Amino acid sequence: MRLAYDSERGALMSGEALETPVSLATTARLDRLEAEAVYILRELTHYARPALMFSGGKDSAVLLHLALKAFAPAKPPFALLHIDTGHNFPEVLAFRDQRAEEAGLKLVVRSVEDSIRRGSVRLASETASRNAAQAVTLLEAQQEFQFDALIGGARRDEEKARAKERVFSHRDAFGAWRPRAQRPELWGLYNRHLAAGENMRIFPLSNWTEADVWAYIACEKLTLPELYYTHDRDVVRRDGLLFPITEITPPRADERVERLPVRFRTVGDITCTCPVESFAANAEDVLLETLTASVSERGATRMDDRANAAAMERRKLEGYF
Amino acid sequence: MDGATFFRPTQNWSGEQVRFMTAGSVDDGKSTLIGRLLLDSKVLMRDQAAGLDGDDDDIDLAALTDGLEAERAQGITIDVAYRYFATPRTSFIIADSPGHEQYTRNMVTAASVSDVAVIVIDVARVEQGVLKPQTRRHAAIAALMGLNIIVAVNKMDLVGWSHDRFDEVRGAFNDVAGILNIKNIAFVPVSAKRGENVVHRGGPDWYQGPTLVELLEGAPRKQSLATAPLRLPVQVVLRDGDTRLYAGRIESGAVKPGDKVRVGPGAFAATVAHVRIGGVGVAYAEAGASVAVELSEDRDLAQGGVIADSDVRYARRVVADLCWLDENTWVPGRRYRLRQGALETQALIESISFVRDVSNLDNVPASELKLNDIASVQLAARDPILADLFADLPGTGAFVLFDADTNQTAAAGMIREIVQ
Repeated sequence: MRLAYDSERGALMSGEALETPVSLATTARLDRLEAEAVYILRELTHYARPALMFSGGKDSAVLLHLALKAFAPAKPPFALLHIDTGHNFPEVLAFRDQRAEEAGLKLVVRSVEDSIRRGSVRLASETASRNAAQAVTLLEAQQEFQFDALIGGARRDEEKARAKERVFSHRDAFGAWRPRAQRPELWGLYNRHLAAGENMRIFPLSNWTEADVWAYIACEKLTLPELYYTHDRDVVRRDGLLFPITEITPPRADERVERLPVRFRTVGDITCTCPVESFAANAEDVLLETLTASVSERGATRMDDRANAAAMERRKLEGYF
Repeated sequence: MDGATFFRPTQNWSGEQVRFMTAGSVDDGKSTLIGRLLLDSKVLMRDQAAGLDGDDDDIDLAALTDGLEAERAQGITIDVAYRYFATPRTSFIIADSPGHEQYTRNMVTAASVSDVAVIVIDVARVEQGVLKPQTRRHAAIAALMGLNIIVAVNKMDLVGWSHDRFDEVRGAFNDVAGILNIKNIAFVPVSAKRGENVVHRGGPDWYQGPTLVELLEGAPRKQSLATAPLRLPVQVVLRDGDTRLYAGRIESGAVKPGDKVRVGPGAFAATVAHVRIGGVGVAYAEAGASVAVELSEDRDLAQGGVIADSDVRYARRVVADLCWLDENTWVPGRRYRLRQGALETQALIESISFVRDVSNLDNVPASELKLNDIASVQLAARDPILADLFADLPGTGAFVLFDADTNQTAAAGMIREIVQ
């Protein structure tokens, strides 16, 4: 495969086969990653009230699929939990509800809007990113349902502070991550123990990369919300990123709106998630693009992480996932 | 097409994965070496490499891996960072572990998930053939945990690529390796800062051996455990109607329908009826696979039990090496939880044979165990544990101790002898 890559726009423009393409999806490597994730998910039976963070995004879709495999033919012994910022893409929320129903698992949704009404969250402006506020709503939901373990789809390849995260990440009663007090984690003999009021965050996809996730989606033929694949969308160019134009994110006076073929690499709060130009129409296409990408997943698409190199670390210290 | 370039995907998707760790004394250049591996393997994304495009002397490669603000403030690495990169032949996971003594326990963590240890030594700071205590400690831990070792003799540019200085470090390390009984060692002279002999060739004429990356690609993997005796610790018992399925990960050996097995801890004879992966029946599964097994007979087997070969033995008292990881010192009589496979039981350290003094690698008597101590102890368990030696069956010959009061992970253990 020879690929033409436009480094200015950060997009794959065309591709042609030079030799028989190797099968990208069927590898022993994916089997190993799947076996490891299933092993981690089965460790969750230690907890009384675990919940799996499920937003309808690609990583949580992979996580749910793995959970169903881990406990088949029984149901996974946990609820699904989503913290809704109120700024999510409607098609992703629809996918979230549909998958939860197909899986037959209870879906708990708690909303940042409710925290704003209660006064536990105050935003600088109506269109400010609500990603940081999620941590407050998450802690409120955790206390309401007495969740002692929360399973997340975060990966170590995403970001520098994540690179040091444990698979079983111990949090104090405030949900805070204390890097110096992290427990050593040996041989997969995980330390699951908690004192009263503490909780555990568990990351079964820790050792996966973005490319692994797409290879697995292709291999297992998982369905995802359509906005992960190429579609035409109104965008403006801002700070080197494509910015989606929606009701809550209008263009500025001096900006020119363009309609471009794009896809999203991550799907989060509308106010801080940007698409990339792409013609990738399925998981195999996305995998090829991922293997040749020149900008990291969060760097390309997340306004909130670009603000400061230590932004993620700070948010984790405050209880962010 | 403006600004377009042509290239092929360079990552490897069918090849093996090598997990390796890096270690070395503070300031010997571990983080810089990893930054160099990532930069020269061209896996760094544009945004991650931003700020690194000064001329060679200005590049702060360590900034790539020293991710936490607390670390940057102190200029040291305080926690294990996991990194991912690939060459056309092999894909790698790096566990970057800290050099500072306070965080040596994180090196033990990194070692437990690695096949190979890359130990970085600053050639300019080895004086009169004496390695720093931290380097000796790291060599001892790598040896203890059965890793192959690659010694990267770093900052060779600062000593004018002196062959004598390289040989001096090699001699010093070989002396230590002899005491520790380390067999597989390779040495490579590098300059991480200048990128010589890391990914790209460079340096002096007298060294024509492989680069660091070539050594890693060719590093002997831990032997496949698929042909070893079966050990399948049961994590959870699943139900399919009236059928019970014993779910867990195969730590060693293989399993298929019809196999005669022993289920424990009672070691009752049983027959494997079906093996499932992800809910689907399979004809065969081996070490590393997460499976659910149905037995032909109704046997007393629960979470924490083991499905094993007929040779399986259990013990209540073993001799083990311990790496003490807890800030709380061990004193006689203190009780711990022991985890081996899926089993947790109580354990008591009955006696300390010796603690290894890393300054001269002597074995010295001790009455307590402190953070970072490496000790040989006799240990008793309340329930029978698998009598597996770490050297033969690392999956079940390893255990960890949790402090029953604080829940801290107190020690990493490796079974060396069976007492009873």
